[in-house]
Amino acid sequence: MLIKYTIQKVLTYMNKYDIRLIGIVLVIILLILFFTRKDNNYANVYYNDKLILKIDLSIDKEYSVNGYNGIVKLKVKDNKIKVMEETSKMHICSKVDWTNSGVIVCLPNKIVINFSNDELDTVSG
Amino acid sequence: MKKLFVLICMIFLLTGCKTNMYKKSMFYMDTHIEVKLYDIPNETSKKLLKEIDNIYSEYHKLTDRYNEYEGIINVYYLNNVLKVNESIEIDSRLSDIINYGIDAYNKTNGYVNIALGNAVDVWKKYREEGKNIPKTYELLNLNVDIKSINLKDNTFIKKKDVKLDLGSYVKGYVTEIVAKYLEDNECEKYLINAGGNVRVGKSYKSSKYSVGLEEPFNVTNIYDTLLVENMSVVTSGSYQRYYEVDGVNYNHIINPKTLFPDNYTKSVTVVTKDSGYADILSTYLFLLPIEDGIKIVNSLDEVEAIWYADQIYYSESFNIYEQV
Repeated sequence: MLIKYTIQKVLTYMNKYDIRLIGIVLVIILLILFFTRKDNNYANVYYNDKLILKIDLSIDKEYSVNGYNGIVKLKVKDNKIKVMEETSKMHICSKVDWTNSGVIVCLPNKIVINFSNDELDTVSG
Repeated sequence: MKKLFVLICMIFLLTGCKTNMYKKSMFYMDTHIEVKLYDIPNETSKKLLKEIDNIYSEYHKLTDRYNEYEGIINVYYLNNVLKVNESIEIDSRLSDIINYGIDAYNKTNGYVNIALGNAVDVWKKYREEGKNIPKTYELLNLNVDIKSINLKDNTFIKKKDVKLDLGSYVKGYVTEIVAKYLEDNECEKYLINAGGNVRVGKSYKSSKYSVGLEEPFNVTNIYDTLLVENMSVVTSGSYQRYYEVDGVNYNHIINPKTLFPDNYTKSVTVVTKDSGYADILSTYLFLLPIEDGIKIVNSLDEVEAIWYADQIYYSESFNIYEQV
């Protein structure tokens, strides 16, 4: 009852320009929300500080990227990613388990993978 | 129209609160370095990030053990080209790092030893082959005496065949130089991660920086999260550079007293302001029995540490950094 009364009262004070104005403002807000929305579940793959691939973790798929020592093979399964194959002495990055947080570094290959929706600022280890 | 203009301005003001962040990623000192700067003008960020790349690059060349660079007297040169008893003038920055290492030797009862290069090389060779461990006689005759190094007013002399290895603190040392550079240039809000050596300035958000600690041997699992500001978080661990023989972990941190790696803990993380000091301490604590390490940390001001071993151990006031 009170709501209905308020709306009626407000409408009597507004002209058609005001209503148009509210419409425009709503559209602008929606546009801003759309463009600044957070990437949901993406893995970003960098080679030597250049973003070379953005991977949607919701799609199970295999990828190959060029690292410093050759091809680095990646696989996405169940919203997580893993480095399957790479050329290096210690294989530190292909030993990393399936993940969707933190950072994977393939040092000799200069490949770095991080995640758009990581809640942590960084990781120490 | 006027109303519309005012409203649009208000909306932009409201959404304009988003922090500006500029980042750069580099590969120096055998590690991946990530720098993030917040809340500064775009032009300034370009200048600062370029200079940071420069600082890491130059220190990388000066402290590189495996490569020569034209016109640069670096650690490779001192280890492999310079003859015994021959004196040479070195860059004052290299001189400062070596002196920092000599000071660290004294502060850590000789557990952090920059003269350990000969032993580190033998272990590196065996680790890369991954099959056996060095024979005792191969290690026994190695010179790892820090007194063989003589450095006075940038003049370097080695009295015996000795090899420098600055790996235990160089990343932290240079990261602290970069942090100081940023603060001198009015950039207070920054995050640097040099291969797990984390250094942060003032926070860019209402809460502090959240730093996850990796579980050794299962690095995708974060076993603790710290909240820090104007602080360093540095980890030493046995789970990245290591190999196994007969089920025993032989990692890359060599104990100068025994010339063998130790396994008191799988990792130890130090929280203190200065990144170079944190790097020195994490190596020192990694080589000590945990209960001795806890006593040392508790006796130091503004230093806390956490050990991931058979269970998790903490220094006295570590919980001040933990997320509640």
